[in-house]
Amino acid sequence: MTRALDLANLPDADVVALALEGRDSAHRELIRRYERPVFSLVFRMVRDRELAEDLTQDTFVKVLSHLDRYRADFKFSSWLFKIANNVAIDHLRRRQLDTVSMDGSPHAMTAEAVESTRFDVADSAENALDEMEAKELGSAIERAIAQLRPEYRSCIMLRHVEGRSYEEIASTLDLPLGTVKTYIHRARHELRRALEHTRE
Amino acid sequence: MNHRHLLPNEIDLLVDGEAGFGVAPLRAHIQECTECRERLEDARIVVEALEALPHFAPDSRLADRVMAQVPVFVPAHVAARDSVRRWLPQSAAARVAALAVAGSAALTLTIGMVWLALQGDLMVFATGVLGERVRVAVVSAGRDLAVALLGDAALSALQGLGAMGAVLLLVAFLIAAVGTVAGIRRLAVASRRA
Repeated sequence: MTRALDLANLPDADVVALALEGRDSAHRELIRRYERPVFSLVFRMVRDRELAEDLTQDTFVKVLSHLDRYRADFKFSSWLFKIANNVAIDHLRRRQLDTVSMDGSPHAMTAEAVESTRFDVADSAENALDEMEAKELGSAIERAIAQLRPEYRSCIMLRHVEGRSYEEIASTLDLPLGTVKTYIHRARHELRRALEHTRE
Repeated sequence: MNHRHLLPNEIDLLVDGEAGFGVAPLRAHIQECTECRERLEDARIVVEALEALPHFAPDSRLADRVMAQVPVFVPAHVAARDSVRRWLPQSAAARVAALAVAGSAALTLTIGMVWLALQGDLMVFATGVLGERVRVAVVSAGRDLAVALLGDAALSALQGLGAMGAVLLLVAFLIAAVGTVAGIRRLAVASRRA
């Protein structure tokens, strides 16, 4: 009991140090702290509870099995989210379930380039999932998030659900700061449009 | 009043609550421009909806499932430190008492050793007698063990090999033992990884 209370009050870096000493309870404390944020991020990325459970498990197994590679100058949670995001994105790429953005390439610099890369269709498998996920996720904002492209989704989740700064998101996702700002701006724009459509 | 409406990234600055020299004119514009104020309000509604999103809970057995796949190794130095800690008394008073007892014992032993060292002749004699008795006891025990393990005939054959033969036999045994231990260890590591 005393040990559990001590662990709960320790900063992440100290819990990681204890986990590196082979403390089972420290490993479990790291899982306890981050299972909900990681699962939520992954669930909103893949929109399938069972799959999200498996990917969250994979994330924690990867992280805890390679704790010796963790660099203390990096926030533990950022490292964890980076791996969770990579696991989810890798899965989406493998399954080719990505939604195609309606707003064109995020790298498009001109109106013509945006127009030339604009799409208004989604993967057919995604449509089949929509009804299922709507029951689970419920609200209009969740459905709107589900329509975002994965890169936008992870950025917007880290920014507004996890409360990360732009700089942290750039570091976590290995993206330039400007790209993160662009993704978040476009994600908000798409969400705003989707919600306007819902309200009408 | 400014005639230019706010750019999307300027709306983002306000939504993110940025503070700075360039933000004040944007805020001033918002006060005067109904259209930009509505756009800002729309953007804030989205952000508030996002920030109100809950965390989902995974299955309660997630930690057990993860830990079943994570090999947890206790480094040797940590295991040694833990062992020492287990033997140490918990309270400060008990630790002081244990230290005092250990110090007294060490002091007594040291004095005893110094006294013995000063008794030169007695020490040489006693060491000789003790050494001879130990040698006889070890040789006898070794012979008994060899007879028990190998039997009389094998022991006679071993004696026939001489000292060099016995050494070679011992070396072969050690190589076989080390090889066996290494093989078992490798199998254990492979099965844990699998």
